[in-house]
Amino acid sequence: MNRLILKYGYPMTFVILAILAWTVYRIFSAGGSGLLGFVVVAVIVWGLGTVVFLYLWPTFAYSAFKRAVVQHGLGGGPIPVNTLYATPTRVSPAASNASLLATGTDDVLYVGGWLDLANGPLVLHVPDMAGRYYSVQFTDPSDGADFAYVGKRATGTAAGEYLISGPGWKGTVPQGMAPIASPNKSALVVGRVFVASESDLPTAYGLAQQLQLTPLSH
Amino acid sequence: MTNILTSLSISHPVQAIIVGAVLAFLTAQVIMNVVVNAATTTVNGWRTTMKAGQPGNGILLRAAFARVLPAVNVAQEAAYWTTTKDSAGQTLRGQRDYVLQFPAGQLPPNEAFWSLTMTDVVGFMVKNPIDRYSVGSRSGLTPNADGSIDLYLQRTAPAGHESNWLPTPAGNFKLMLRAYLPGRAILDGAYHVPPVKSVR
Repeated sequence: MNRLILKYGYPMTFVILAILAWTVYRIFSAGGSGLLGFVVVAVIVWGLGTVVFLYLWPTFAYSAFKRAVVQHGLGGGPIPVNTLYATPTRVSPAASNASLLATGTDDVLYVGGWLDLANGPLVLHVPDMAGRYYSVQFTDPSDGADFAYVGKRATGTAAGEYLISGPGWKGTVPQGMAPIASPNKSALVVGRVFVASESDLPTAYGLAQQLQLTPLSH
Repeated sequence: MTNILTSLSISHPVQAIIVGAVLAFLTAQVIMNVVVNAATTTVNGWRTTMKAGQPGNGILLRAAFARVLPAVNVAQEAAYWTTTKDSAGQTLRGQRDYVLQFPAGQLPPNEAFWSLTMTDVVGFMVKNPIDRYSVGSRSGLTPNADGSIDLYLQRTAPAGHESNWLPTPAGNFKLMLRAYLPGRAILDGAYHVPPVKSVR
């Protein structure tokens, strides 16, 4: 929906305003007796609605991401909730139809997934990246905040395990795992693994595939 | 008072709610655009923001970035600049030739890599004969004698400068520059990307 608005924003706005003007005109020409009440209700809804739309906009936008990830995936079919998928190739003109990846970024492999932490924490397994640039970004879908990172900047490039828990989880973090507390029971995961060249691609893809999630109990 | 109640009761509440909701939607869009523009700095035609994705953003910034830059990295992880204009403010287009010159030592400071990508104005890469859609720290750029680096943005290969060539599409285009693990000068706002100069 965002894309549609970006592309056809002005014509859509014009059409909507024309319909509104016509509606008001109809009421007015029918005698106008209800116009005051009409205006009072419309203005109240307008004011409250603006706040509500702004407040909920991140939720709207990220629910589109959830649908894209869980229903369509990143080129390899739907990505089940609580699993990660690594793109085997970099973004190219041929892959441009995957709208999520229209980022103008062709030097990383993307990893994507959607987390639902309601049934307990998940463990993110990271292989030894041997100094390679990578990052795993955790985004709260209710406000769009990147609340945690695993990666070269945030945690270094050594192998590791990270425990991602939802709000209210009271368990004990197993030894050797670094905790990540998610403020929301859902989270969007975006991973990026640097690819130095075409010949580096198999190595990078092998590492990206090893970014994996498992439930804590297993 | 009675008059107001009377007119409320015989009004068209459903239409009024629809009208109010639509106006609210449009107003929210306008506000988000204003907020994005206010949070964006433009230097030498390059637009960038440091606020996307940051925890602690207020309701307006959250909404605005969810609309224009959803799921984007925080600036500490990667800095992004985009432009569709040359140094004279003209729209970048394939009919012209451009040079982006980084003075010696003025490549985007970073601790990972930097990259300049060419896309159409929407953000999709456009097929070109040498299958090159970005140049950057991993592409073996050739510096000039004084240490500066010229990037040639044009449709046909620049004779003698093929290594620094980023092919442009036929129509209008957009450039995106990215620096991963950006250096302090970028995060402080002290670093400025040089302008894209039209040379033909």
